[in-house]
Amino acid sequence: MASKPVWEQIGAGFVQHYFQQFDSDRTKLADLYTDASCLTWEGIGYQGNKAIMEKITSLPFQSIQHSITAQDHQPTPDSCVMSMVMGQLKADADQVMGFQQTFLLKNVDNKWICTNEMFRLALHNFGA
Amino acid sequence: MGEKPIWEQIGSSFVQHYFQLFDTDRTQLGAIYIDASCLTWEGQQFQGKAAIVEKLSTLPFLKIAHSITAQDHQPTPDSCILSMVVGQLKADEDPIIGFHQSFILKNINDAWVCTNDMFRLSLHNFG
Repeated sequence: MASKPVWEQIGAGFVQHYFQQFDSDRTKLADLYTDASCLTWEGIGYQGNKAIMEKITSLPFQSIQHSITAQDHQPTPDSCVMSMVMGQLKADADQVMGFQQTFLLKNVDNKWICTNEMFRLALHNFGA
Repeated sequence: MGEKPIWEQIGSSFVQHYFQLFDTDRTQLGAIYIDASCLTWEGQQFQGKAAIVEKLSTLPFLKIAHSITAQDHQPTPDSCILSMVVGQLKADEDPIIGFHQSFILKNINDAWVCTNDMFRLSLHNFG
């Protein structure tokens, strides 16, 4: 069997680590960001490790569980890895909601870090 | 009033242009891709302008209309722009479906091109 392309291995490894850490203890996600990292969470922008961690740790729920429906990974021309995740989450006793999240990963000093991240709930994407 | 940051302007212009072209004549989308561009369409991978345009042109509907619910844009460390779009689409007489799409835009020879494009229907994301 052919092994997966390296960007798939890196992307899928990151996604697994990120959501495992997010669901068990999201205060430990800081390792993934640098001072240049950008997060856009439901349309609001945060820049830098400190601002991002402040946002993530102050999200208004105690427990959260993500489940991934689909994930895609691509290499970029600047040797980064782009990942898009679609899934569902359950926060505290709220109902299950769909979400979409996109990451850009870059290798800095032999370590893959997250330079760009965007999160949206799928909540408002259903009308009709 | 402050002006929008430059990456927001470039990203939202691209998004407007892309979906307008997609909805009117998607065979013309070739202009925004290069031979190094990657498209992942519902998990299936295509590389290069020709393969991408062939995929988009042969999608099994005659007419399509996209409507954007939300879009986010960020500058990346390599002077690219990352854009994420959440929206709804209606293809022919099918029911309206939600979709998610993410792009990386890069400035090459004074033109913004799309180097990375990922598309997913939100169809299967509800249990």
